[in-house]
Parts: sequence; structure tokens; C-alpha cells
Amino acid sequence: MIDTVAFGAAVAMLAGSLDAWIWVIPGLLIGLVFGALPGISVSMAMALVLPATLYMEFLPAIIFLTSVYTGAGFGGSIPAVLINIPGTSSAVATTFDGYPMAWQGKHNEALGAALFASCIGVLLSYVILLVLVQPMAEVVLRIGPYEMAAIGIWGMVLLGSIGASSVAKGLFAAGLGVLFGMVGMNTAGYMRGDMGITWLLDGIPTIPAMVGLLAASQLFALVNAKFIVEAESERSISLRRILAGGMLVLKNPVTLLRGSAIGVFVGAVPGIGSSIANLLSYGETRRNARDPESFGKGDVRGVIAAESANSSSEGGSMATMLALGIPGGGATAILLAAFAMHNVIGGPRFMEESRDVVYAIILSNFAQAAILVVVGTLFVYGASTIVRLPLRYLIPCVLVMSAMGAFAIEGSIAGPITLFVFAVLGWLLSRYGFPVAAVVVGLLLGRLIETELLRAWQLAGGDVWYVLNYPWALGILGLMVVSLALSVRRDLRKRRARVARA
Amino acid sequence: MTSIGPMITRRRALLAAGAGLTLVAPGVRAQGFPDRPITLLVPFATGGYNDRLARAMAPFVQKHVGQPVTVVNRPGGGTVLGNTFFLQQPDDGYMLMVHSAGPYIPVSILTRNARYKADDFWMINLPSRDLTLMACATDKPIRSVDEVVASLKRDPRSLSVGLQPASADLINFALFCQAHGIDRSRVRVVTYDGGGPARNATAGGVVDVGLVGGEGFLPIKDRIRPLLMFTDEKNSDYPDVPILSDHAKAAGFEAAFVEGSQRGFVTSKRFVEAAPDRYRILLQAIERATKDPECVSTLGGQQLSTTWYGPEASNRAYLATAALMERYASLLRAS
Repeated sequence: MIDTVAFGAAVAMLAGSLDAWIWVIPGLLIGLVFGALPGISVSMAMALVLPATLYMEFLPAIIFLTSVYTGAGFGGSIPAVLINIPGTSSAVATTFDGYPMAWQGKHNEALGAALFASCIGVLLSYVILLVLVQPMAEVVLRIGPYEMAAIGIWGMVLLGSIGASSVAKGLFAAGLGVLFGMVGMNTAGYMRGDMGITWLLDGIPTIPAMVGLLAASQLFALVNAKFIVEAESERSISLRRILAGGMLVLKNPVTLLRGSAIGVFVGAVPGIGSSIANLLSYGETRRNARDPESFGKGDVRGVIAAESANSSSEGGSMATMLALGIPGGGATAILLAAFAMHNVIGGPRFMEESRDVVYAIILSNFAQAAILVVVGTLFVYGASTIVRLPLRYLIPCVLVMSAMGAFAIEGSIAGPITLFVFAVLGWLLSRYGFPVAAVVVGLLLGRLIETELLRAWQLAGGDVWYVLNYPWALGILGLMVVSLALSVRRDLRKRRARVARA
Repeated sequence: MTSIGPMITRRRALLAAGAGLTLVAPGVRAQGFPDRPITLLVPFATGGYNDRLARAMAPFVQKHVGQPVTVVNRPGGGTVLGNTFFLQQPDDGYMLMVHSAGPYIPVSILTRNARYKADDFWMINLPSRDLTLMACATDKPIRSVDEVVASLKRDPRSLSVGLQPASADLINFALFCQAHGIDRSRVRVVTYDGGGPARNATAGGVVDVGLVGGEGFLPIKDRIRPLLMFTDEKNSDYPDVPILSDHAKAAGFEAAFVEGSQRGFVTSKRFVEAAPDRYRILLQAIERATKDPECVSTLGGQQLSTTWYGPEASNRAYLATAALMERYASLLRAS
């Protein structure tokens, strides 16, 4: 499976060229900074540096862009942990347990765990890429609407009522999110709920809406607090504790591996990507845990699951891009554009003819993951100082930054307006005990499920039994039902045991 | 070092643009034009064909116009946002668009209630023409377009067809069905919001047949079997693929089709009328840049087109597409 001659050439290519290395650290830093700014997504960070790569050689240009990719993949988790605002849409699930950890003064551990889970996730995903690139790409290309809808439904079932005090409130919130997700033109060309506003043609801008919902709900909770971390003794920034958090990752290998596997395979599917992988991995980890009720209250496994999945998506989406020349999402679309700017056409022929370059890209990403451990630790060390910042300074800063990010992402006032509207909504929802996290989950998954179900219906020509032609989709749904039944039975037993004890 | 270059020019462009808005009054003479950077507005996200075309052309336009040329992306709403923004700019010639004007502008008017008209825009040159390609995955049993016709005639539900709603591809498919007497409403049409997803579905065999712009298929040419090109002259990218005019002649009907994408340099008609001198300067610079041998070879290597059709032919092609789109507007809306 690995062509040793080309592999040797790749090693020589990297070893003999300084150009291939000098861009790694700047790339990681740019990725970290932009990823950490609320509102700027991974693909936006890459789009910002794309014009600069025109003036580089091909290999350094691609290495630079993948460094930004790797850095931004982790950068998003920093504000997710420290201020409950996911820096990118792929860090939503990181907030679920990362922020409660910070609240308890375990921000060092949470960030350390997120960093190590990210680095190991990237590493694992590229190892899988190195060995399985071709077969994986083949499988991914065959995934159709039925399978994708099944993945979306699976996520919805796992997370639909997340963070809710009652199932009814959770479902209401998720339903609201799904409705918001369906505004705009659907895949068949019908316009819904745009109220004649041009800005809503493409739907509600997801990232400003998400930041508004999550930020408002937590700012509300902070009204009477002076610092994010109440106890002064816990407000420390300690390298030792960051590294201790990293060690927690190694103590939860199953969570890490599950997250990475979900990330690689879900991330590889064009049109799904890292934000869905992030949610799915979190949901699966919570469901599989012996004590699911500890999640959402600062369980480090939640952080590990979320971060390993969103980072390993990188390797997954690189597989489809390298083997097929198909972009799985915004980030790989930009990489392909960089290919084109250097007169290189990505795809099967590129894989055949330039196997050494492909290996060099993969090997460089191994190195990037290792370097990210160091660069990321230092970055996190600096970023954690915000826990020492009194909230009366921090909150206005966060608000201004969020508004600017929302403006940057839309390039117009539509972003900040969305942010404001959803901030008010988020405040109202949390005021009356509805979980805003479920609204965000609905917003992210609802659109996917709707689009794929619609295509499935078109493909079937209205024939309900057509789904029987798709054993994989049925398999996913079957597994889902079985695993749900098992966890319901476990819950019932526990409840019965509790009742018996009482 | 190299990464700093474009940033400086962008900052300068922004500063200059800010200053310019206050300084340049309408109807200024061409004297000394242009005296500050020119912006190319791309109404799509970074990385697509138009974005690549704009970025590849920028240094050559810069060389011939004598001012820095920068690229700005303003995606969204099927180009409605970019188009509206562009028309709101002063008619001073400091901003041009690089756009898939046909069919995006007419389609946005017909399906997204955009408030501008097709002839508010003026084509300077549309070098890239993309055509609808009918194709299937290589592992599908379909060998030729005649098999597709036979199968759909026998039972319109026998094949699933992937395409984009509100697109030239949809119109071409509708015309194709009409000519062959196939009941399109019964065909299992699967809609994709974007050429990329539609191509993936075709190459992966998720749909039996796909109708999408042929250019985008080039990187995955080995995975698809091209069946029919909707054109009346042989295409250099797909020299062996049957073309619609031959297919129609054999089947005994009049060939009718719409060109997929017409991409290139676009400005507003208002600017051309308000400042003809400035327009001529820009036109000349773009023509020289397009014909510059260095530009031709650079863009050729990136699979970008540099044909010079000129404003007259480009506007004619664009308006013809717009008229055809309007004629088939009902098809676009009821998809």
C-alpha cells in the first residue's frame, strides 16, 4: 500500500528543503489566532492566506495552507473552553464540557486535553490517510443521500435534547433550531422563510447565530460573577496542569480512538465535515459512558471526544481531495484552488504521478501535529491569561470581538444583526430553561437532514420502500435503534435500582 | 517576504478606496485615469473558477492599466449580494466584476427576485464558456446517450438524474426530454445545490446520470463516462464525446440548448454610458492583458481560458442566454 521508493523521495524532499519547513510555524500560528477569533472559520483563515501562496513554490504553499488548517482546527477550542464561544462551527461540542471545566478552575486541564486530543487526532488521521487513502476515497464517493440522512438523524437522536432539564424542552429547542436551519433556498430551489430579505437567501448565517445563542446564554449567567473562575487560587496558569490535561487524553484511549475514527470517516464525506463529526463523537461518547449524567458538567472525556473528532476530520477530507480531486468542504476547496494556482490538477492522476509529493504533504502533517503540541501549549499558556481578566473588562471585549467576527464573516451588517437577534433569543431561551445548545445542534444538523431526506425522496421517486436498496443506511439506523434500546434499558435498570434502594 | 506583498496592496487599496469615495465626483473626465488601485469583485467564494480567473488575470491587467489590481470576494445568494453591491458603487471604473454573468445574473433575476435587470450589466469579455455535459459513472451499465433515451422513453422512472435546480443544465435537460417526448415530470430528478455535489453524485454513481458543467469534471475525467455535450461544435476538452447537434440530427429534431456558464469581465452599463473615456481605457487594458502571450501561457497552465471575444460578441452571447432563460423561466421556477 505504501510505495517505498516514493516514500524515500518524499523524505528526501522534506529533508533537503528549508522552504518546506519555514512556513509550518507561521502557518500554525495564523491558524491558531484566526481559529480562536470567534466567527472566523477554518476555511476563512485559509482563504485569507491563499493569495500569499501564489508567490511560493508548490510544496511550501500546500504545507503552509495545511499548517493553517491544522492550527485553526485546534484554535477554535480555546474560546470554546474559556468563554463558551466556539471559535469555529467545528468546536460546538467542545463548549459542552470544556466551559464547565473552566468554570470549575480546570481551564488548564481542559485546554491541555483539547490540545493533545487535537494533535493526536491529526496524527492518527494522517496515518490512516497514508495507508488507506484510495479505498477510503472510493467508499466516501459512494455515500449517497440515504446514508448521509442516516448519519444526520443519528446525531440528532444523540444530541437532540442536550443540556435540557426535560425532554420536552430539549425537543422544542432542537425543533426551533431545525426550523431556523431551513430558512433560505432549499436544495430543490424553493425559497422558505426569507421574508423578502436578500441576506436570508442562503439561510440564516450559521456562525453569527451560533455565537449569539451561546454567548448570550452564558453572559446572562455571568451577571453576578466577577471572574470566569470564582476561586482566586484556581485562577492560575500552569504549564504543569496543561500537560497534566494532556496526560488525561492518554488515559482515555478509547474515547480518543472513537473520536478519531468518527472524525476520519465522517469528515471524509463531502458536505458533512468536521462540525458534524465533532457533535457525533461527543454524542457517542456520552451515550457509551457508564455515567452519562456527568457530561455537560465538566467531564474531560467530552472535551477529548469533541476535539479528537474535529481535528481528525482534516485527514479524512484530505483523502477525498488527494485521491479524487473532490473538495469535502471549504478548507479542501481552498487547497484545490492553491493546487490550480500552481498549475497542478488534484485528483487520481496527481496521486499516480506525484506520489512523492503526496507523501511529502502527509509526512509534513505528521511533523505539524508534533510541532502543534509545542506551539499550541505556548499559545494556550498565553491565551489562558484571560481567566485573570475581570469580567467587567472581558465581557465587553468578547461582545466587540464577536460583533467584529460576525461582520467579517458576512462582510456586511447582516452578521452583527444576526448576532444580536440570536443573542436576545438565546437570553430568552435560557431565561426560561430551554437549552440553547440543542438549538445550535438543530441549526447545524437540521439543514443536513432536510437536504438529504429531500434528495432521498427524489431518488426514490416517492416510493417509500426504495430505502431497502440501501443496506448501509438501514444498518446505521438499525445500530442506532439497538444501541438506544440498550441505553434505555440500562437507564431503566438504574432507576429501578434507585427506587428499590429508596 | 512574499506574503507581505498582497497585504500591502490590499491595505493601500482600502485606503485609496476610502479616500477616493469622497474625492471622485460623477462625470469626472478620463484625465489621468486610473490614478489609484482597481478592484476586481468576485461574487463567489475564494477558490472557484471566477476567483482563480480574477487572481490569475490581476497581475496582467495591472501591467497594462498601470495601477495595482486587487481581488475581493463577495459571495452569497446566488450572486445577488455581489451584484447588488456592485451596482451600488460609484460609476468611476475603479471596480470591475469577474463573474459567471450568464446564467447567474438572469437566473438570479428570475428565481431570486433580484431588483436589477439583465441589461444593467455590460460584458467586457467572457472568455470562458462552460457547457452542460451528460455523464454517468464508469461502472454504470449505460454505454451511450441513445441508451439513456431508450430507457427513459420506455419508463421515465427507470433512471435517476442529478442536476442543479435553476440552472442551464436543467433547461437543457428539459429541452432534451421535450424533443424526445419523455415525460420529464415523471423522471426521478435529484437536485444538488452546487456543481461540485452534483458531480460527486454522478462520479460516485449515487445518481444514474448527471447533467453538469463539463469543465469541473476534468479532474475526475477517469471516473465518468461522458455521454453527450450540449453544444453544436466539438469541444477540445472532450474531443470524442457526441455533441447535441449530431445527436439531434440523427434523432430528427431541431437542436436547442443553453450555454452553461459564460464567465469573464463585467461592468455596469451605467458606467459605460457615464464615462465612455474611462471605459475605453479599461477595455484596452483588458484586451491587451488577455492577448499578452505571457498571460495566455500562464492561464493556459491553470486551465483558465483567455479567448478574446470582445464586448460586442460577449454581450450578444450574454443577452441571448438571458432571453432563453426568460423564455424557459417557468421551467426554472417549477423545479
